[in-house]
Amino acid sequence: MKLYCLSGHPTLPCNVLKFKSTTIMLDCGLDTTSALYYLPLPLVHSPRLSKLPGWVSKDGTVNLEKELKECAGRVFVDSQPEFCLPERELLDLSTVDVILISNYHCMMALPYITEHTGFSGTVYATEPTFQIGRLLMEELVTFMERVPKAQSATCWKTKEIQRRMLPGPLKDAVDVWSWRTCYSMQEVNSALSRVQLVGYWQKVELFGAVQVTPLSSGYSLGSSNWIIQSHFEKVSYVSGSSLLTTHPQPMDQSSLKNSDVLILTGLTQIPTANPDGMLGEFCSNLAMTIRAGGNVLVPCYSSGVIYDLLECLYQFMDSANLGTTPFYFISPVANSSLEFSQIFAEWLCQNKQSKVYLPEPPFPHAELIQTNRLKHYTSIHGEFSSEFRQPCVVFTGHPSLRFGDVVHFLELWGKSSLNTIIFTEPDFSYLDALAPYQPLAMKCVYCPIDTRLNFHQVAKLLKEVQPLHVVCPEQYTQPPPAQSHRSDLMLELQPPPVAYRRCSVLGLPFRRRHERIQLLPELAKALVPSEIKPGISVATVSAVLQSKDNKHVLQPVPKPIPVPPSKKRKRLLEEVPELLTPKPLLSGAIPLDAFLASLHKSGVTEVKVEETAGGHILHLQAEDALIQLEEDATHIVCDTNEPLRATLRDLVLRFLHKL
Amino acid sequence: MDSECLSLLPSVCEVLADSKLLPPDDTSLEKLLDWFKDLTSQDDGQSLLQHQPCLLQFLYSVMESEVVDPIIFSFSLKLAGLLAAEESGFCLLQEKGVLVSMFVPDGWHVLGLWKNASVRCGWLQGLWNMLQHPPAMDFFCRNGIITLVLNLQNDESLFITSLTNQILAHILNCSMPRVLGNDTDSTAEGQALVSSDWVSVTTEIMSHMSRSLASEDQAVILPGLRLLAIVLTQCGDPLKRLLWKHVLEPLEVLAIRKGDSLTPPMMAVLQAAARTPLYIQPECRVEALMNVMLYSRNTNESVLCAASILLLEKCVSIRLIGSAVISLLRICIGHYPSTILQVGNFPHLIGCCKIQRCGLDVLGSLTVYEESMDLIQEAFAIILQYMQSPDSHATVLKKAHQAALKWFSICSPSTDLWRFVSNDLFSVLKKHVCDGRWEVRDSTLEFIAQLTSALKGNSEYTEALHTNGMISVLFTALSDVEAYVQASAVAALGEALTTTNLPLCTSLQEEIVSHLLTVLAQDAESFPRRAALKVFTSWLKIPQTFAALDQSLSSVFSLGGNDCDWEVKIHTLELADVLMEKSLSHCPYAVQGYEPSERCTEQALNKLMDLGTLGLLFKCLFDCDRPVSQKACALLLKLRAFMKQTSHTDGNDLALEICRYNWGEEILHRYCSKRPEQSDCVSNDDEVSYEQIDIVKCDPCWPKEISLCKILDVLDLDEMQHTLSLSSDHVINSPRSLMEDILFVAHQSEDNVVDCY
Repeated sequence: MKLYCLSGHPTLPCNVLKFKSTTIMLDCGLDTTSALYYLPLPLVHSPRLSKLPGWVSKDGTVNLEKELKECAGRVFVDSQPEFCLPERELLDLSTVDVILISNYHCMMALPYITEHTGFSGTVYATEPTFQIGRLLMEELVTFMERVPKAQSATCWKTKEIQRRMLPGPLKDAVDVWSWRTCYSMQEVNSALSRVQLVGYWQKVELFGAVQVTPLSSGYSLGSSNWIIQSHFEKVSYVSGSSLLTTHPQPMDQSSLKNSDVLILTGLTQIPTANPDGMLGEFCSNLAMTIRAGGNVLVPCYSSGVIYDLLECLYQFMDSANLGTTPFYFISPVANSSLEFSQIFAEWLCQNKQSKVYLPEPPFPHAELIQTNRLKHYTSIHGEFSSEFRQPCVVFTGHPSLRFGDVVHFLELWGKSSLNTIIFTEPDFSYLDALAPYQPLAMKCVYCPIDTRLNFHQVAKLLKEVQPLHVVCPEQYTQPPPAQSHRSDLMLELQPPPVAYRRCSVLGLPFRRRHERIQLLPELAKALVPSEIKPGISVATVSAVLQSKDNKHVLQPVPKPIPVPPSKKRKRLLEEVPELLTPKPLLSGAIPLDAFLASLHKSGVTEVKVEETAGGHILHLQAEDALIQLEEDATHIVCDTNEPLRATLRDLVLRFLHKL
Repeated sequence: MDSECLSLLPSVCEVLADSKLLPPDDTSLEKLLDWFKDLTSQDDGQSLLQHQPCLLQFLYSVMESEVVDPIIFSFSLKLAGLLAAEESGFCLLQEKGVLVSMFVPDGWHVLGLWKNASVRCGWLQGLWNMLQHPPAMDFFCRNGIITLVLNLQNDESLFITSLTNQILAHILNCSMPRVLGNDTDSTAEGQALVSSDWVSVTTEIMSHMSRSLASEDQAVILPGLRLLAIVLTQCGDPLKRLLWKHVLEPLEVLAIRKGDSLTPPMMAVLQAAARTPLYIQPECRVEALMNVMLYSRNTNESVLCAASILLLEKCVSIRLIGSAVISLLRICIGHYPSTILQVGNFPHLIGCCKIQRCGLDVLGSLTVYEESMDLIQEAFAIILQYMQSPDSHATVLKKAHQAALKWFSICSPSTDLWRFVSNDLFSVLKKHVCDGRWEVRDSTLEFIAQLTSALKGNSEYTEALHTNGMISVLFTALSDVEAYVQASAVAALGEALTTTNLPLCTSLQEEIVSHLLTVLAQDAESFPRRAALKVFTSWLKIPQTFAALDQSLSSVFSLGGNDCDWEVKIHTLELADVLMEKSLSHCPYAVQGYEPSERCTEQALNKLMDLGTLGLLFKCLFDCDRPVSQKACALLLKLRAFMKQTSHTDGNDLALEICRYNWGEEILHRYCSKRPEQSDCVSNDDEVSYEQIDIVKCDPCWPKEISLCKILDVLDLDEMQHTLSLSSDHVINSPRSLMEDILFVAHQSEDNVVDCY
């Protein structure tokens, strides 16, 4: 069993598991943090961004004015933002049989895999994962295509320039040559056409070799963990999971038990921040800003935590006497996202499912929309500009602050200290995200909300499910760099977990010992079982093993058809292999005293018995021979004395049972 | 009252002594004893016994009875002790043979009484009541009672063992001066006679203590340790020194003994010893014993030892304790504790609310020590971290506020401090006023009010408060959905505006007053209404009042006086009190020149009438809530006294139209009662009914207005005050009522006894 690690990002994994002749890709997350090195893409022309000075090296020898711009004391790439793809050279991705998707955040690199690597397999995902993943991909493409950049930037990536001349943090960016611009809508559609929808607990057979089953992971709508198992082996793949009672179905933990290997990814990125506390911070900062007459900007993804935020604010705003404050959700896919959340009832938690039977919408944002407290728009252009009033709360993307409508709001509201930007997504460093907008008068509040498992919860989970081996990103095997004293913020297991990083190839410490083989009935009838121990019987069988589609069948040996004599030379192929009589199997234990007595009767009197770890060695002094008796073997050593050897052999055989 | 009670006493004694009758409950007997205690404190036992022979008769009856109830027996023992508390009473009882019969159980008629815990308890209590003078001590020592008392140290009843220890300590404390020859009043012969018995008793007690401490049985050691701790705390130094010599050896053995629950009482002994001169005497080895205890115990017990040692103020550096507490608080919030102490990593403490609360309490408590001034910056830093942490529980935040207040109280003003307040503290407070948890909003507003009050007069703070947007935040909080929070916001805003010496613009004043009036008029919850009135009162007290408030006072009185909540009415009356003080006090150096006091008084009274203050007072005087009525009565008495003082007793100018008001009927009723000659409806002793008042009101001969002075005269305020000052159970709570109850219960048949529970 091998694991190829194409991504070192702990929450955007991409691993390939080779197991029982199948090659399974587990997620294909896209690391968009590389976009932070790029200048924002403004929807509305920004004089500030368009007049930024270009970068020239200190000695003047390298002029990359067109590719790099200096902004707020840093250097940014002035081109279409690029994303860090999973490693594609580590193995031939065309050999990947299937791709299993855990949640809609972990499939954003799918078009890169399916469209450019020769992949021809099937992608499995739940329906919400598929639909919402599609929305997020569409949104990403729209963000890029709305603000096209004429040129691309590659010169800066040259090693001599990047490492030796550029200032940090650009200097320290890694794997820059694996970065790519965003895919097209055509590629998205083509990638998604390979998706086959599955439901929780639905068992999918892969070529008869293994079975894959998605289980609810509790993190987002339709999010799954996967069980990959054969008859005798079980591998569990745990990606973004949550034990909190938010809107998705709760996590299925018990099904992860009895795993030989558990691959663990997708833990919380902010283990010291309690989601409830962060939610409280979010609400109080929001209320403080609105009461003071300012606006609140919330950069976020179009699905996921935003539903929980809207639900929380639905209750909070009335109690804070801010019931008339409007909320705006701006995204090309805002409407679809809000609507999809209401129709995937069977993927929701029990509380919300029950509402559907009342009938009531499971999420309160339906009521917010009905009462005009929540309005959604595809972009800032169009109706929004004429309808919006302040102070207000705006939910919009992209959390990197490099593209999407959020860029415009930052330019618009950034100069007033009355306004506040509240960061709730943990994927991006908020300071790096804000860097090109500095100096900013707007207040910044960082209260990331990550509902995924923390180290304390995962330790309890692993204690409960007790996998034989755990595989995890190397980041989980040491405390976070900023809190090196926190030994509780890492995995401490016995045996220690197997850690991986990008481009690792792990031979998992697990050896398959059994395989299921079927016998045909006529062969089974011919067996003569012989009991060697109470409850254990053994029979020898001679048969032909046929392996096809990972199914193994023992068939009777065909009887040879007599061939008439012919003068022609026989082709080797025509000869039927001769059926040899199998050697008899021996079983049983040799009682030492009785054997010594039989030796004595046979005239072997001088025997020295030596005890060993595995049994005994009998030294036949006069005969210069020795007999080594072990639990599963007997050795007779006597040089050149064949008669003696045969005699001793016959004596041993008297105590054994022939099958 | 007492004469009436004393007249009932013989019947009560008879009833108590009669074993055929139902005895009263324990509470009644305890109340009876309390009464006797009061009596004996006024008059000695001898004269009481002489004037009330029924008492002696009662004691005899109980002693001689074959079937006495243990409760009555216990009562009689306590009573005898009380009566013998003075020498004269003691001598009389001894002469009559009562004391020996009662306090030497061998002579009791009823076998098995000693087995009853209440009897043993009564015996001990009686003994303790009695042992207040040398003759009683003599009696005690001579009759071998000490053996019984020492045996009771191991009684099954914890109450009895505790009482026993108290008595033993008392005996030692009383006897030791004589034993050690400190009493110079006694004659040589008398002293020798007394001393031998007393010496014997004290020696027996000390030997008993040594033996107890040296015992193997924990149940025997424990009372010994408890007695030792009491002696070390309560008794004189010579006794402590003497006793310590006796007990040091067994204590040293106990100190190294492990694995039992004697650590707390041992530490109590060592703590007590450490607070005496024994601590500084090397041969007493108090510190050495503490060391042994600290290092020889398991973790839990070591913590107890350490805690006890730390309670001794002289032992440990405050700086060290402060650093340790701050480190612990840092650990609990997940920060690395970079302090002088070497600490490890304790992830299980992170987020532990109990430890956080205790830690913050301790941090606040350190402010009483001068040395803690070195820790000011660190203390504020950690308090701020707790306030800023999104994971801080509401109760932890409350503790952080309390700790902050204490540290502010010892700070000297500095630029750094105000910068901290302005930039850091106010930011987090503004956020907390918007928190989703009402407890956080409430405690934050309370904190702001308390901080503002504490820093009153500090111009930098006031300026920071008024220029940092805090006022508008407080204003917004007035509309909070939670009544408690509203009330706290009212108080905080009130405090903020009271402390300012910045001129507030008129519109802001009007807005604030208007808002508070709205709260008073419309808020469904009483907390905010009470808070609004308190704020008005505090504003009215300051010299430069708001014009807006002055203009609204009549509305305030009207709204407050008609409120359904009695506390709101009380606060309204307090406001009236302040107004009266301000209005009626004279300034002889008035710039306008001296005006005759009568005219000033008249003007002031007219003002009070115009504002509705007088009407409020009269209305509240007849309120059904006693505290309201009592307060109003006090204010009217004050007013009457003032008017007498300024000779404004014939103020016919100030008349009140009593017919306009509901309370006017009551006044008219009393007016009529005092003027029967003017009414046909009153004859002889007939009371005036309210229907008749209605008739009177229509009668043109009757006045529609009555002058203020006449009203005050008619009302009989002194009698009203006295009646109002009596508690609601003043009838029931009297000794007479108690005795009547006892007599009543005793004559009830079984059938009529109802257990109300």
